[in-house]
Amino acid sequence: MSSSKSHSPPVDFGLAFPALVAGRLLLALTSLPDALKHDHQLSSALTSYSNLQEGIYLFKHGVDPYSGGSFRHSPLYLALFTTILPVTGVGAAIVWTLCDAVGAWALVNIWRARQRVSSTERDSLVAAAYLLNPYILLPSLARSTSSFENTLMLLSLMFASQGKASASILAICFLLHLHPPSMLLIFFPLLMLIITNPTSRLASPRPFKELNPNRDKLYPLMAECVLYACTFSLASTVVSGGTAWIMQTWGASVTLPDLTPNTGLWWYFFTEMFDHFRPFFLMVFTVHLLIYILPICIKFQHDPLYAAFLLIGVLGTFKAYPTLSDPGLFLSMIAIFPEMYPYFRHPIVTALLHLHASLLMPLFNHLWLHQGTGNANFFYASTLVFACSNGAALVDCIWAGLRIAIGEEKEGYAVVQE
Amino acid sequence: MEREVARPVPPWARILNKVRQRLRPKNATETRIRRRQAMIGLLTRRLPWLRLALFCVGYIWMIIIPSPQLGRGTYIDENALQPGQWALNCGQVNTYWSWGDVHTADKYLAQLEVLRDTNATSDQRAQFVMKEFHRLGISASTQSYMFSARSGRREGTNAYGILSSPRTSGTEAMVISASWLSRTGEGDGTLNLRGVSTVLALAGFLKGYSLWAKDIVFVISDGYMDGMHAWLAAYHGSSQSNLEADRLELSSGVIWTALNIDYPGHSFSHLGIFFEGLNGRLPNQDLLNSFQRISRYTGGVPVILYDHLDPRENPGHSDLPSWLPPSIRGQREVQTYAYQAKNVARHFMYQARGQSSGVHGLFHRYRIDTFTLFALPATGPHGFHAIGRIVESTLRTTNNLLERLHASFFFYIMTGPDRFLKIGSYLPSAILVSVAMMFGGLRVWVDAGWKVQSGSEKPLAGSSTNTTPLKWSKRQRPVLDVLCIMAFTHILGALLFSLISTSWYIEHQTMASPLLFMLLAILPSIALVFPPNADPHASGSRSSVLKALNLCIASTVISIISVLNFSLAALLAMLLGVPLSISSAKGPIHIRGLKYAGYTLLGLGWLLFAKEQARQAIWNWQILSVWFAPFACIVYVPLVLQAGLVCLLPPDS
Repeated sequence: MSSSKSHSPPVDFGLAFPALVAGRLLLALTSLPDALKHDHQLSSALTSYSNLQEGIYLFKHGVDPYSGGSFRHSPLYLALFTTILPVTGVGAAIVWTLCDAVGAWALVNIWRARQRVSSTERDSLVAAAYLLNPYILLPSLARSTSSFENTLMLLSLMFASQGKASASILAICFLLHLHPPSMLLIFFPLLMLIITNPTSRLASPRPFKELNPNRDKLYPLMAECVLYACTFSLASTVVSGGTAWIMQTWGASVTLPDLTPNTGLWWYFFTEMFDHFRPFFLMVFTVHLLIYILPICIKFQHDPLYAAFLLIGVLGTFKAYPTLSDPGLFLSMIAIFPEMYPYFRHPIVTALLHLHASLLMPLFNHLWLHQGTGNANFFYASTLVFACSNGAALVDCIWAGLRIAIGEEKEGYAVVQE
Repeated sequence: MEREVARPVPPWARILNKVRQRLRPKNATETRIRRRQAMIGLLTRRLPWLRLALFCVGYIWMIIIPSPQLGRGTYIDENALQPGQWALNCGQVNTYWSWGDVHTADKYLAQLEVLRDTNATSDQRAQFVMKEFHRLGISASTQSYMFSARSGRREGTNAYGILSSPRTSGTEAMVISASWLSRTGEGDGTLNLRGVSTVLALAGFLKGYSLWAKDIVFVISDGYMDGMHAWLAAYHGSSQSNLEADRLELSSGVIWTALNIDYPGHSFSHLGIFFEGLNGRLPNQDLLNSFQRISRYTGGVPVILYDHLDPRENPGHSDLPSWLPPSIRGQREVQTYAYQAKNVARHFMYQARGQSSGVHGLFHRYRIDTFTLFALPATGPHGFHAIGRIVESTLRTTNNLLERLHASFFFYIMTGPDRFLKIGSYLPSAILVSVAMMFGGLRVWVDAGWKVQSGSEKPLAGSSTNTTPLKWSKRQRPVLDVLCIMAFTHILGALLFSLISTSWYIEHQTMASPLLFMLLAILPSIALVFPPNADPHASGSRSSVLKALNLCIASTVISIISVLNFSLAALLAMLLGVPLSISSAKGPIHIRGLKYAGYTLLGLGWLLFAKEQARQAIWNWQILSVWFAPFACIVYVPLVLQAGLVCLLPPDS
């Protein structure tokens, strides 16, 4: 919103952050997770908690979880949750809350790196924007594994902003195993971010060359990336005892085998599709995601962090198996770009669209699946509204990111897009 | 210039130039900007009129909902129920219910009357019914239950029997039920003895036929709503903290449809349909339409909506007030309107409060389509013979279902037994009002962000033709403060709700209501502690930003609720539409205080003037999970209080 700058005295981050995390933990310990975990909007087929539990159960009992067709989580989850991480009870509540806490901490660090200071008055607000965002809070309560994806995404951006190249590449390769499309979209701007720095140059755009990118780092980084990816793949193969996981996890975001309803645009479209058109449209939808990378990276070459932010928005709007936390990450990240607030195109309209969508989606889901008076078209219509609101937010941010370079509007002049 | 013109231009080039100019004029961007500015200017100038028009059209639309011009005749939309219908329409009416069965029903009635006269307990009654089922060879059982609401306990015993389908494995079922208390006077204590006898006699009769493709479950529920609620909860395994009910010993498959029989009088003249379920859910309309046709053609019994007799067919009745001149009262159009308006008003009364109009409404929670068949007490001419045949035929129709009714109407307003409104002909009324509110909110939002720069504020007095454009400067909107105020009022609403659902409030309602009213009226003024706006040029007033957000959120609530429960949305549109739009912080302080008092009365008046309804709503929430009471406290009251605060907060200087 154009004026969320508060007059209230800044809250100490050292105090606010633990308080926020404690509040989140209390919420996670209530009975809410049980009520939410089967909700379609909060977890997709790829991130569902009950699927994860099923897979772990099968895995522990010596059955290959990838032979059944319903388990689509990465073998790395299997490895983690059967050894060090608890998957049920209080332990799970702590794991998911901590995961979001790490995400919020990473977001605060990205903000600090962008401002090139060690702490600011805004830190608490940024952390709150992540921890209290209902789009992130609810999937986390429903124990959707999309919380881990978000955290890894933020961690890789944080390390990249802080110049810790290897750590960043490690995080993004981990993300590649949990959810490949996120990694593919974000990889290019991430590399740009690593070889430059995250400070805001939105107001003074200039060619990438003038940012003194450290190109020599590029090839070692690529090699490192391949190395990590191969290691993780090897680990996955060893853990799951075969290569069936490749089609079940990586393949799923491309071949769309599970059409369980979610908040995205794909499921309904492919439910209605004749089988012989399926491959073609799968290709179109997948390529559609990828075509945004280059234009956004070229247009925002002066500020790779902003490019990454926009691509996260694209991902949240158009990806194959989204949950609410994907657009949620995009919306929370708006908190670290306060310089563009005065240049939003239509913030109130976007906010109202989001309000409508976030009320309509649970309502129509209820009408369709519980009350029985509506049908699938109702819910699909509400996901279209949601897509529109995400699109509007994206347009707002792209507009603001470009418009900020022109500066304050002068009397008698108008700015247009040619 | 002239010299250039003198040079000959080839015709093709001239045409090309024209085309080029048409396609891409030199100052295209400028034209576009000017056009856009002109359009925005036009819209801004006409906005008050546009809003007024939207409000008027919306409200007038609501008024003409009962008009005969708007509705249309009912028809069967889905083929699922058709086979039974087809047989009917072709005159192949073949029902087997005979006078012998009527005699059986009479004998059951005599036994039930003995039970009534000896003041039998619920348990004895249930035992009687169970024994009768057993005697017929139907497996049967009883179920005891106890509700412990804050307002007191209710206990009883249900009896039920299950007739297994001779044709299938019992994965699907239909229910025939009768509650011990009739719905007359919303369960005022009238007994439904003939309804119960009908179900018992039907049990014996239906057992003799092998055409059932679904199990038939007979339920005689105790009390009015409570018994059936306990039975359904146990059947579907849903638990509720204030309900202790026995587990059901017998069970059957998924219940698709149900029929609730309510026959309180000695004889009946019409069969009335009651169909509103809990939380405003309606049954599939095909079910009602099929029943209406069966009743008319098979049973020869006219169908009415609720217990409203149609004045056009019953000249003794008139819904019109007596002070109207006879020339108007006699007109058929007017009579039709009055009759349909009465039906629609009754529908609104049930649906807006989320109340069920009978025992059938409890089924809706579990996606079971049902309605109550109410035998309108009269001196004649119909009795057990007619009702038996109609129920038999209706059951055979629902027996044809191959899947759950799903494709046809769930969103409708019945204006008469054979007339209704589709969603498209009533929904826009509430939406238009909500759009008008949204436009109002956006307008206030824009105004709050701009300020006329001092110096260029007023054109010189007397020079009305002064056209120098005003200079506007942008300013901040105190969004965060306002969001805090709004959150505060909603928390107050939640507090109010938790207070009125305590047993303390229910016991001391006469004393507690004024107390709560005062408390809720005074507490919001805490919002005034925010220091007044120092610099009107740097930031807009909280009052106007609050008004903007209040209008936008109220509009959103109305349009979202309209899909779920149209009557409630219409009620909100009437209560919030104009009042929220005219809230303003202008005027001297005592006028603003008066306005605030008015809003408090609008928001909280029910605490003082509708105590009985409040009790009922709380009971409905605690026992039947009707969300009207929490919705009113947590959404409606805060929205009105916010409008009151708009008047109280310091105005824009």
